[in-house]
Amino acid sequence: MLSRTMLVSATALMLTMGIARAEDKTLTISVYAFAQDEFKEIVYKPFEAKCGCKLVVETGNSVERLAKMEANKANPVIDMAVMSMADALAAARGGLIDKIDTARLSNHGKLYDIAKDPNGDGMSVGYTFYATSIIYRTDKMKITSWGDLLKDDIVSHIAFPNVTTNQGPPALYMLGKALGSDTPDLKAPIQAVGKKADKIVTFYVKSSQLVQLMQQEEIWATPIGRFSWAPFTKLGLPLAWATPKEGQTGGLNVMVLAKGSKKQDLALLLMDFWLSTEIQTKLAEKLVDSPVNAEVKVSDEVANNITYGEETAKSLKLIPSAVALDYRESWLSEWNAKVAQ
Amino acid sequence: MFHNRAEALALALPAAVFAAVVFLVPVGILLSEGFRSAGSWTLSAYADFFSHPINRTVFFRTLRLGATVTVVAAVIGYLAAYAIVSQSASSKGRMIGLVALPLMISPVARTYAWIVILGRTGIVNQTLISLGLSDGPVRLLFTETAVFIGLLQLFMPLMIISLVSALENLPRDAVPAARVLGANWFQVFWKIILPLTKEGLVIGGTLVFTGSMTAYITPAILGGSKVLMLETLLYQRVTVASDFVSASVIAFILISMSFAANLLLKRLATARSRR
Repeated sequence: MLSRTMLVSATALMLTMGIARAEDKTLTISVYAFAQDEFKEIVYKPFEAKCGCKLVVETGNSVERLAKMEANKANPVIDMAVMSMADALAAARGGLIDKIDTARLSNHGKLYDIAKDPNGDGMSVGYTFYATSIIYRTDKMKITSWGDLLKDDIVSHIAFPNVTTNQGPPALYMLGKALGSDTPDLKAPIQAVGKKADKIVTFYVKSSQLVQLMQQEEIWATPIGRFSWAPFTKLGLPLAWATPKEGQTGGLNVMVLAKGSKKQDLALLLMDFWLSTEIQTKLAEKLVDSPVNAEVKVSDEVANNITYGEETAKSLKLIPSAVALDYRESWLSEWNAKVAQ
Repeated sequence: MFHNRAEALALALPAAVFAAVVFLVPVGILLSEGFRSAGSWTLSAYADFFSHPINRTVFFRTLRLGATVTVVAAVIGYLAAYAIVSQSASSKGRMIGLVALPLMISPVARTYAWIVILGRTGIVNQTLISLGLSDGPVRLLFTETAVFIGLLQLFMPLMIISLVSALENLPRDAVPAARVLGANWFQVFWKIILPLTKEGLVIGGTLVFTGSMTAYITPAILGGSKVLMLETLLYQRVTVASDFVSASVIAFILISMSFAANLLLKRLATARSRR
């Protein structure tokens, strides 16, 4: 009887140890829901094979991710997450993430400068970025400045991004520059847009609707992120990507380490893998993410559909994360008062 | 049907526990956020919300649009439902199937379809121009009218199906009898049909009103974000401002308005049937 009991106990102990070992080799990451089939093929499965570990992938938007990290602050359930650089600063301010030991990222030196430490606090590393500019019908107009969007003969043919979208504040920021106002409160550009709100076709919330609007000739021009550009090229319309004199703006997504995670070694391995030339190239070739690794070389065809190259990376005028966080609320109030009443 | 009350309660218990655990408790926790401040219970978040003129404007606009959609859906719904129940059994089945068909299509797809129909080159503008009623394309898309049309199309089937169900229980001879006795169609509707189908109207009205009040994608896409509604405001508070207290306040207002609409419809229907 005793030996039987011991056998059962030993089996249970071994099973528990097995589970514990499997848990030690399980990394939970939180990412955007976008292009998960491609990520699974290019990043997750090869990484699991390389590290002999299991990846648990949670998908959702930034708000859900930050709320979950905040709710589980004492006992993190996410080891590594990706988010916008502004959200990374919010997470850092909330004590939700740890510093990243970049000395352990063998590919860190290959990154463009803007991706190495986007918020200047050592808490995040960029893994992809995008340019935001204006696409327009070349047979209807010529766009050389962000200010052209509000010209009388153009304004009634544009869609402008809503302030709640990722493209909204950067587009307003560049419009402000064109109007000669460079203040972070964006009051001047919001007021200017508000004055023409009735004429502007729509303030879009989903960039996916823009292709249809362009096809139906509802709009002739709109500010978009470069990641939305590819479907427009298939419309057979004379469309161009503007290079306004004020420059292009954009955004950068980063990877962060959850504070207190016990899997930080594994998380750093994944980050390094994700930033490697091989993986960044594959993601670019599938038009999933624009590479921040300067060693990535892609064909002209691919390059035309993504945000690519050191020159582009250097020229982007990004809104500093602290400005985005500190002014988010006032931009919204101003927008609701002047534009979307 | 059941031998005793305890048996009925026992059968209802699993569903009640499920609803309480996965719905009532989370909703309760969420809504309580709006009534708490610095560890004590308060209505300050509500006072703050209604102190902003823009929030009041948005509140009344949402209420007005929800009420208008519900009233128009009820008027069209009664006509359609009466036409359906007057058909033979096989035609009735086919027509109910047609009414229910849009419910099987994603609301996003249905909303996007309106972009094609109401656009500058869409069928409405083409017809207006070809009939000489307009010199050029009329701006229909991205207006409050577009939101109204989108919401009406989205929720009308719920009203029609509720009214069909109610009208089927109407005694077959009631309408002909009233007509024979000299009642005109308005009197037939007001004194016979409405009181006898009030349950269908209350259910359909509540579904349409609640749906119209809480729909996010239709006002966002068809309104072009120029028409701020309570649900778009709620979205802003959560996704941009991460302000869960204000979001909880708006959610409570939306839920309260739905309950209020249900009570009001019941009251109106009861008042009619007492006369």
